[in-house]
Amino acid sequence: MDQKSAGLNITIFFCQQIDPDQDTNRRALEKELGKRIRFFPLPCSGRIDPLHLMGALESGADKVYLVTCPEGACRYQEGNLRARKRIAYTQGLIEEIGLERERLELIITPAGNPVTVDELARGLLAREALIGPSPIRG
Amino acid sequence: MPPKYHIHVGSVPNRFQSITRSGVIAWEEGCLKCARCVKKDCVYKVYEKRGIDSRQMLESLDSACMDCFRCVQNCPNKLIQKGLNPAYKALGDSYWTPEIISGLWYQSEAGRIPVSGGGYGGAFSGAGFDAMWTDMSEIVRPTRDGIHGREYISTTIDIGRKVMALQFDEAGALTITPPPLVEIPLPIIFDILPWSPPREGINLAFLKGARSLGTFAVIRQSDFIPAMEEYIPNIILYIDGNLSDLDKSIIKGLRMAEIPYSNEAINAQKALKEINPGLVVIIRMTLNPHASEDVFRLTAEGAEAIHLCADEFGLEKADAPLFIKERIKEIHLRLVERGVRDQITLIAGGGIAMAEHMAKQIICGADMLSVDIALLVAMECRVCRRCKAGIACPVELESVDPLWGSGRIRNLMAGWQNQLLEILGAMGIREVRRLRGEMGRAMFFEDLEKEIFADMGKRG
Repeated sequence: MDQKSAGLNITIFFCQQIDPDQDTNRRALEKELGKRIRFFPLPCSGRIDPLHLMGALESGADKVYLVTCPEGACRYQEGNLRARKRIAYTQGLIEEIGLERERLELIITPAGNPVTVDELARGLLAREALIGPSPIRG
Repeated sequence: MPPKYHIHVGSVPNRFQSITRSGVIAWEEGCLKCARCVKKDCVYKVYEKRGIDSRQMLESLDSACMDCFRCVQNCPNKLIQKGLNPAYKALGDSYWTPEIISGLWYQSEAGRIPVSGGGYGGAFSGAGFDAMWTDMSEIVRPTRDGIHGREYISTTIDIGRKVMALQFDEAGALTITPPPLVEIPLPIIFDILPWSPPREGINLAFLKGARSLGTFAVIRQSDFIPAMEEYIPNIILYIDGNLSDLDKSIIKGLRMAEIPYSNEAINAQKALKEINPGLVVIIRMTLNPHASEDVFRLTAEGAEAIHLCADEFGLEKADAPLFIKERIKEIHLRLVERGVRDQITLIAGGGIAMAEHMAKQIICGADMLSVDIALLVAMECRVCRRCKAGIACPVELESVDPLWGSGRIRNLMAGWQNQLLEILGAMGIREVRRLRGEMGRAMFFEDLEKEIFADMGKRG
């Protein structure tokens, strides 16, 4: 079953470089899924902090994605590399409290193949649901 | 002298953290663990009060940061940067710009006027109201000690039909009955919103705000609910449905009502006045290329006030629409030319987003303004128009507390009134009624362009 049909709450943090028209492009999905999907554009994916990722899980997300710009394309030079480290660190933290590390996932967009945030999110929703609803949701 | 009209302001904090222009990007990796970290040296202590709003994933750090760039400059390993916030860039649209929206939020929070210390860095001219500048070069007598000093600058407006001359019989008694007038202390009324989430709480906030300011809010007949009865003295009821559906006692309690423009508008005005002779009836007209002729005809037929409504971008309804200030200017000048301008009150609405728009619109010939979206922005609206598309409001405006909302509106209106007073004070004008149609107190880009460039290149 895909993640959309499984009724999972998805939160997507993404680098603003991915889709300059993100605010318009994400609306169809927001209308379709309501509070089940939340988008947070970031000035740079390197801005992500373990606090953001933990906050998203705490506020009811079953799966949290961090989408970065292609490697070598970061306008802050190392932002996407640092994002990878933050995800790994936070995965360790959530494992310690008994959550699956798969609840956090890093997606690096491929170079030379621009996608809108809507296409990207639909692709993620169509993925096989490997985890169930988060126990934090109660 | 009557007591000065003064709007008292107070802090009304945001419900949601506001979206800032830029965000701090601080990387921990590579930290040299200096004995004295630049984050500890922050004069505003933003790193010490750090918190995160997990509803919106906004950091308190960003809203507390004053953009002094000390930390960015002084970190020895250059681990702190500031980046433009994509959520800020996505606010509003080309008319309701992020700068306008954040300026309105700032004013609504505490009633303060935004001051940009670095000087104006924008374009010299632009579209709409930006193609017009108020001109203070002919100051006759500026205020001696500021807008809140000893001198009285009035922002009072009378709404209704004015008689041009009184008539008396031989015994000296008045032979005419002067039509009713409603006096409001601010040249602003609150208008129906072009879009919003379910608006019960929003309307109550408008009404509460209108009552505390002494002005009015236009409420659509179908939006009127029993909880609004206590606000009847501050309601302009827009009667766009069947008059017989309305309780006559409600009409009798009203001081003003609004009706849609049609060929039967004057008859509808008479019908309302039969129920309540003291009622001031406003005719609501969508701004269009024929408006000046229609307004003149209505004035001749006995209309009291006309509410001219442009769309949310200040444009009239036409294939090649004119901006509101141009059309109002034309209407005003047409009425002046025919000698009937003083008989009627013109209310202009649509696209009024800043205090300066208010002064500029009055200079172009409106007596007063109606404000709509700006009031919603006062309650933290982001002008994303998600509500229009049936998507949940990101700042939950449908559940707004009317008391909180009215406080924000009051603060915003205080900021606008202060800015209007500044303009009037600088011009040496003592009341806003004198500003109406004072086009000599403004410069228009089109006129200047014509004046300077029209003859260039001509030979002989």
